[in-house]
Amino acid sequence: MAGLEQVPVPATGTLAVSLRERTERLLRNHRFLLGGLAALLLLFTLLFYLSQRGRDLPAALVTNKVLLFVLWYANVILILVVAFVLLRNLIKLLVERRHRILGSNFKFKLVATYVGLSLIPVLILFFIAMELLRGSFDRWFNTPLAPALERGNAVAQAFYDRLENTALRDASRTLGEVRGIDLAQAEERPRLTRRLQELLAELDLDLLAVYEGDELIGAVVDSQSGIPDLPEPGRDFLAEAAREGRAVRMDAPAGVPGRLVLAAVSGSGATVVAGTLLDPVVADQTDQLVRDFQSYRQLEVQKDDLRASHILLFVMVTLLVLLGSSWAGLYLARQVTVPIQALAEGTRAISGGDLSHRVVVEADDELGVLVDSFNRMTAELASNKEALERSNRELVEAQRLAAWNEAARRIAHEIKNPLTPIRLSAERLLRKHQQHDPELGKAIEEGVEIIVREVVTLQGMVDEFSRYARMPRPQPAPVDLSRLVGDTLSLYRDLKPGVAVEGDVEEAASPAMLDAEQMRRALINLLDNAVEATEAPGRVTVSATRDNSHLRIRVADTGRGIPAESREKLFLPYYSTKGRGTGLGLAIVHRIVTDHQGTIRVEDNVPRGTVFTVELPAG
Amino acid sequence: MRTALALLGLLALASQARAEADIKDLRATLDGDRVLATFTLTGGLDGRLSQRIDSGLPTSILYEIELHKDRKRWYDNRLDRATLEVVAVHDAVARTYTVHLKLDGELVESRTVREREALDAAMTRIEGVPVFTLGEGTPRGRLLIKVRAELGSRTILSFIPAAIRTEWRDSNKFRYPPRAPSP
Repeated sequence: MAGLEQVPVPATGTLAVSLRERTERLLRNHRFLLGGLAALLLLFTLLFYLSQRGRDLPAALVTNKVLLFVLWYANVILILVVAFVLLRNLIKLLVERRHRILGSNFKFKLVATYVGLSLIPVLILFFIAMELLRGSFDRWFNTPLAPALERGNAVAQAFYDRLENTALRDASRTLGEVRGIDLAQAEERPRLTRRLQELLAELDLDLLAVYEGDELIGAVVDSQSGIPDLPEPGRDFLAEAAREGRAVRMDAPAGVPGRLVLAAVSGSGATVVAGTLLDPVVADQTDQLVRDFQSYRQLEVQKDDLRASHILLFVMVTLLVLLGSSWAGLYLARQVTVPIQALAEGTRAISGGDLSHRVVVEADDELGVLVDSFNRMTAELASNKEALERSNRELVEAQRLAAWNEAARRIAHEIKNPLTPIRLSAERLLRKHQQHDPELGKAIEEGVEIIVREVVTLQGMVDEFSRYARMPRPQPAPVDLSRLVGDTLSLYRDLKPGVAVEGDVEEAASPAMLDAEQMRRALINLLDNAVEATEAPGRVTVSATRDNSHLRIRVADTGRGIPAESREKLFLPYYSTKGRGTGLGLAIVHRIVTDHQGTIRVEDNVPRGTVFTVELPAG
Repeated sequence: MRTALALLGLLALASQARAEADIKDLRATLDGDRVLATFTLTGGLDGRLSQRIDSGLPTSILYEIELHKDRKRWYDNRLDRATLEVVAVHDAVARTYTVHLKLDGELVESRTVREREALDAAMTRIEGVPVFTLGEGTPRGRLLIKVRAELGSRTILSFIPAAIRTEWRDSNKFRYPPRAPSP
């Protein structure tokens, strides 16, 4: 089965794969399918061979009880296996759908289509073939053959009955004829033999014999019959004959063709055996009629078992086909769904920003090409992203360098501004002192005043830089944002005539987890800029809202706005659009917001002015 | 899955079919250390079996015989088991029936009968056949034998084979070793 894992993209594409590699991959990927097909082919060959051999097997073997039960339990096992395979996959698909796993709907449809396409024709064929099989059996045993065989058997039995009855009658007549002869007297024996000879000719018999008990008294055999010697009828036969009179059929003595019909009758201590030799052709034909009828009856008796064994064999083959086709359907469906599911998951991973994700599915068809293209696209995306990030880094570095240049220039300028009056004051004092100017004292007072004032300015700048550099980490605590905004806004009310300063903080925004002092300082810096940029009549508004995830604080003014080209550098330290000040105000705001895990963005206000939006995590 | 299992269970149960036949007059007697079984199968040779016999197919009735201790509600009462198989084969040309009696698969007796009544008797009346031999390992106490007959098979729904068996029947109880007669 195809699997997923994170691996580097192969350097070679699918098209570059050699025929040998493709063949090896085909064998490796489809080894289960090929193995299964080979096993099924072998099984069907075996079944076909057995069915061919089965034609020559006697019905008794085909309908053997053990065979029937073996077939039945083999079918039960197959039913269980088919049910297990189908239900297991069905449950898996339903669970995947319930958990809304990506691609599960498509997979369900595809598997249902594949399995349905294999199941439905097999089941239709099965029910039609079953009906044909049942009908064939019924028609087979309803042919006119049965009455013909039954009549033939009846004729044969009647023929034998007649022969036996005739022999019995002849034996009875002979017994009556010999009663007048005293068999115990040896001198009477020639007379007995003569009488037997006469009766043999008269009754058209082939054999006549007289016993007294088990002892043979006299016997005659038709010389034309070819019977060389008197056959031994057996003691049981004579005993039964003595009791009730019997006739049997037995094989003629060795060397004599045909069958011998013997009948024995007893009375007055004597037993007479009369025998007729049956023509071999007639005997064989008659026996064959009986045997044919018996064979037919055997088939008829085994009809149900024969039908059951055929049906069970057919059910078994159907179940094997069903198992093979449904399994192959599931396998082929997986061959399609697994790559597509992997692609869908890959798309989701990439849309989530994971450009290192790769789809590894062993497929040789168009899906393989698609997977390769997807991986190449992802690799290119990752490469482009990396290049873009590198460019961005370089750009930011350049901007930072430019900002530092600007900052250095501004710092130099800001430092130079107080230094010039200091230098001029010092030079003026020196000059007055060298000239012994009587107004030196006044000049000293004025010069020192200027120098002290400018040094204070320099000291303020140094303090500002120092504060930025040593800004502490925020200490968030629940803050009443409405109160914080209100207190801050009160510093600006009536500061600039014609510029209204307003607050609009919704109730849900409080309490907010903030460092109150830092956030107040950020607001002051934003309000300083906003009030300064807004000319009368104008308006500065601070609003705050909250949703499930974010707290938003907006500082909007109706001032002159900020040019787009300045916005990128707005939050860099020592950058200023005002041409004065330290350029640290917005940098400090940005740092405070960033330290609160938030973001700040600047946009145009509508219809005029600027909006700074601070977004902080709501928690 | 449950439905499929229930259906299969039902079909498996269906493979056990009860016969109309029954074991009657079952008696067990001791002849020294040998246990002799005597019983009669009634209603066994129905039309189905008779047709099969007349067709010339070897037709058998298998008697399963078990030796039990006489203990009620005990799980392993059975001491020994034996099978007695009576096989009949009809020769339509000679008009005879050959009956073989096999005890645990070994031929005990063969006889040929010509009349149908004699065949029925040979197959269904078992008279004093020694089926078990008791010895040192046999527990002392009251014993009995149980017998049931298997009369071939039939099919359910045209393809599910089902063995046809009678109910188990119990013999009289007998004591082993037997008590010596009082003087």
